[in-house]
Parts: sequence; structure tokens; C-alpha cells
Amino acid sequence: MLAEIINPYYLQVLSFILINIILGVSIYITLSTGQLSLGHAGFMSIGAYTSAILTLNYDFPLVVGVILGALLAGIVGILIGIPTLRLQGVYLAIATLGFGEVVRVLFINWESLTQGAIGISSIPHFGRELVTGLRDTGFTADMIGIRNNQLISLLVFIILLVITVLLITFFVRQNHSRVGRAFAAIKMDENAAEAMGINITYYKVLAFAQGAMVAGFAGALYAHVTAYISPSDFAYHRAVEILIFAVFGGSEVIWGPIFGATFLTAMPELLREVSEYRYMIYGIILVAMMAFRPQGLIDHEMIYKIKSRKKKKKKVEDDKKERNRHGVGS
Amino acid sequence: MALEVKNITKRFGGIHALTDVTFRVEEGEVFGLIGPNGAGKTTMFNIITSMFPPTDGEVVFSNKRLTGKKPYEITKEGVCRTFQNIRLFPDMTVLENVTVGEHCRTKSGVFASVFRLKSQKVEEEKIKTKARELLQLVGLGKYEDTFADNLAYGQQRRLEIARALASDPALLLLDEPAAGMNEKETNDLFDLIQKIKKLGITILLIEHDMPLVMRICDRIAVLNFGEKIAQGTPDEIKNDPHVIEAYLGQEEEDELA
Ligand SMILES: Nc1ncnc2c1ncn2[C@@H]1O[C@H](COP(=O)(O)OP(=O)(O)OP(=O)(O)O)[C@@H](O)[C@H]1O
Ligand SMILES: [Mg+2]
Repeated sequence: MLAEIINPYYLQVLSFILINIILGVSIYITLSTGQLSLGHAGFMSIGAYTSAILTLNYDFPLVVGVILGALLAGIVGILIGIPTLRLQGVYLAIATLGFGEVVRVLFINWESLTQGAIGISSIPHFGRELVTGLRDTGFTADMIGIRNNQLISLLVFIILLVITVLLITFFVRQNHSRVGRAFAAIKMDENAAEAMGINITYYKVLAFAQGAMVAGFAGALYAHVTAYISPSDFAYHRAVEILIFAVFGGSEVIWGPIFGATFLTAMPELLREVSEYRYMIYGIILVAMMAFRPQGLIDHEMIYKIKSRKKKKKKVEDDKKERNRHGVGS
Repeated sequence: MALEVKNITKRFGGIHALTDVTFRVEEGEVFGLIGPNGAGKTTMFNIITSMFPPTDGEVVFSNKRLTGKKPYEITKEGVCRTFQNIRLFPDMTVLENVTVGEHCRTKSGVFASVFRLKSQKVEEEKIKTKARELLQLVGLGKYEDTFADNLAYGQQRRLEIARALASDPALLLLDEPAAGMNEKETNDLFDLIQKIKKLGITILLIEHDMPLVMRICDRIAVLNFGEKIAQGTPDEIKNDPHVIEAYLGQEEEDELA
């Protein structure tokens, strides 16, 4: 029965949605201090290449490779974040876009390590590694009545889902804390935030590095899900794509880019005919959003309304319960 | 705990915003800083809080040099301010605005927040309790869930005061807190400043509302074109010929016109 439900192709689409959600979260974190970075394709590629090379050439365990890839991206994030601290808005966007291009050209030309424009293939695959590991413990696909490739895509999906949920939880909690309030204050008025006792240098670099690290993490996951990466995967169009997640979904609340990533990744898959025009549609979305809803589809107000409606509903229910209780009593 | 402003000079290109200004605010007093428009009052606040450096001179607070420190370090030293052109965090609720003010007196970081350590939960509760108390103090207790942007003008000014008080200042700098307030609001503000003074907080006040200034200040310094032209008690200032000429006289002219 399970064998009929599980469609490896759809699972793969879902897996890419999850990776894109993580990328959406990465740009959201940086934006939540008001810093617009177009360098996330660059950070993503650092994570991807680091993990690919470590696991393939130096036999690092996959998990270690992914973690080191994310960490290296985070460290580079600190190194880029500090000198660009003084840059605002579009100047920061240009500088970080430049950074992304530098990284890409570096990977093209460092052929001895990266195989240049050809890219790296046969990177250890998440699912396959896991299935091999499971086989050693005596578990195989046919034990639950599915084919091997079905098990592989199912495992990849489940693991990515768990990782994504954990990551979102992490940042939702961070948002509802002293750190999140500092981020928000800096985004709304940097000078006022500093005058109220917030070390803006620290929090801006922290947000930049966190964003870079999460992008690197997504990159590393991407490398082990596709098993093949090349510099063109991380070119300018990728940087713009990540940005569009936030522009379309909104960058005021974390659910914005999450929705943006989900919708924009699913759309071309669901509507095969439009996938050809993907980048044209992105362009139209950019222009339309800027003109009609610059804050993105999901904003503070929307979340606030949903929350207060929930509260109201709960109150109505409580009142009802209360009345019932009284009814029983009398 | 006194504030010492020593020979402060500030030039913006050709503009002499402040020239060799010196004064001293004693612990526990309400000290007024007045002067006509463009006299350099806000510039003085910006220098005390290091929004920008002075061209010359230095600021010392309870024997520690403030000049050269970062703005957030100055808040930590116990000097916090409000802004003449209100600068609240507009998309935050009233309560959140005040909790931001408590930032430098609290310490939960990323780890404690994400893993919801006990210390963090306790701290969050304390932050909220204190913020609510401060909102009560400034008379905004009912509005904690309102977005700061949606408050009336006079309420926004009081919220700025609550936010600044949240950082536990020993010295509070108020930049025209009565601007845009009606008579009742101004009277409430008078009471509020009295209450803050009773808490043992020293106040440096910029204000154009002369009756309020004369009523509430222990001492006053007067700036005109970036220079200090007088200093003394309200009565001395009222009767100082330089001040009458430069400031009060100008007002009379306005009234006559
Ligand atoms: N950042 C700045 N750059 C250039 N000039 C400035 C700057 N800040 C203030 N000035 C100038 O310095 C002078 C003093 O300004 P300041 O704002 O301190 O006056 P003020 O006494 O606060 O006046 P008001 O009562 O109108 O608020 C003015 O001429 C002003 O134009
Ligand atoms: Mg001023």
C-alpha cells in the first residue's frame, strides 16, 4: 500500500521546498536587523562546496561535513559582516552581490579543488548513505513493502522536514526574546536602538553571521541531496531567487519567506507550462510587489489579526463553557 | 553622580553649533537647558550621548569620561534620553518598546532564549513586570498592546520617557517633552517629572514651555547661538538682562507681532 503512495518525484520536490524554506529563513534573519544581503547564494555555495569536498575527498562523515560547511559559511559571514556594517540599504546589497560573484569565480578557477565549471559529482547522497547504514542494522526497504529508491526519497524528506521544523523553532524562539527585540529595534531605528543601550555592532554581525550560516547549511544539504553541484547553481539568479522568497512572502515575520519559498518552489512544479517562464514571473512579482504590497504578502498586521481572532475565539469558547457550567449549577 | 560638561565646542562645517560650553548638573536636581531655536540644545544632548563626537571638550559623568564611548555604553553608565522628534519603535507594541529599554540591564543571549532556560524565563517575567510598572507610572497602563504608532502624540512622548526609564538611568535627558502637549497633558507631565525626581533620578531638561521650566527646574542654563549666556535659579534667569534680551525678549517681540 505504502508503495503506491510514495512518489519519489513528489518527495524530491518537497525536499527542494524544504531546502528553499531554509534559504528563505536565512535571508529573513539578516533582514530582521534591516540588512539587505544578496550574498546568500555565495554563502550557500561555501557550505555546499565545503561539505562536498570534505566528504568526497577526505572521507569526512556526512554530518560532520554539513556542520563544518555551515560553520565556515558563518565565519565568512562574520568576516564580510564586519566591514560592511556601515553600508546601508542598496549599498550593502551591491557589496554582498559582489561578494557572491567573487566566491563563484573563485570556485570556477580553483580547479584543483573544485573541478572548476564542470562541478563536483558523485557527492555522497544523504538518502543512499542512510539506507546503507540502515542495511547494516538489518533494515531494508522491502521490510515495509516499498522499493529502495522510495525509501531513499522518503528518508531525505523526513530528515529535511525535522531539520526545517527545528530551525524554524529556533528562530521563532529567538525572535520572542531579548535578542529578537534587539534585532527588531535595530531594524526600525538603528540610532534609537543604540541610544537605548543596544550594542548594534554585535547584533548586526550576529544576524549577518547567523544568516550566512543557515544559508551555508542549506547549501550543504543541497549538495548531499542532489549529489552534484557546480558554480552555476550559485550564480546571480540564485541570489535573486532567495530574495524573492522574502519579497513575495514578506520579511516582517518569519512566516513570510517560508510561505514565499513554499509557493514559489511548488508553483513551477504544479504548473508545468509556466516553469519555462519562471524568471520572467519572478521579475513580474518583484515589480508588482514593490508597487502594490512592498511589505510582502504576510505582514505584522496579518499575524496580529490572526492572533487576536484566535484569542477572541478562545474567549467565546471560555464564555460558553462558563455559561454551561452555570447552567448545570442552577 | 554629577554630570560635568567641560568646554564643549561643536562645529558642523561652518556652523558653530556650540562654543566652549561648560556646566555641571548636580545629583538629584532638575536642570533646565533653554535657549531660542537653533541655540544648540539638542546638539548638546547628542554630544552627551555620543551620537556624534564634540569638536573639542569632554563630558564626564560620576567621574567617568563619557566622551569617546559608544552610545550604548553611555546608556549602561546610567545616562538615557528621549528624542525631540519622537523616535519610538513604531511597529512594536507599547509594552515591547519599554522592554527594549531594559536591554542593557538584562543578559539572556541566543542560547538561553532558544533553549528557554529557567534563568531566561525568570528574566522575561521580570522584564515584563517592570515594563508594566513603568507604563503605570507614565499613565499608559491601559495601552500596553497598542502599537506605538497608534498612540496620540502626547502619549508617545510619555512612552519615550518610560522607555528611557527602563534602562535604570541615574541621569535622564528629556528633549522638549512638553512639545505638542495641551495644558492638561503638560500638567500631568509636571507631576510625572516630580515623581521621577523623587525616585532619585537626576534630570536634564530641554524645554520651550517657560512656565513649566520655571516651575520645575532647580537651576537653568541658557544657550544662545551656541554659547552659554547665563546660568542660575529660575528667578535669577527671569531677571537676567542677557536672557531677556536674547530669549524672553524675542518671545515678547513675537507676541507683539
Ligand atoms: N547633524 C547636523 N549637521 C549639521 N548641522 C547641524 C546638525 N545638527 C544640528 N545642526 C545645526 O546646529 C545648530 C543647533 O541645532 P540644535 O538642533 O542643537 O538646536 P536646538 O537648540 O535644539 O533648537 P530647537 O529648539 O529648534 O530644537 C543649528 O543651526 C542646526 O542647524
Ligand atoms: Mg532641539
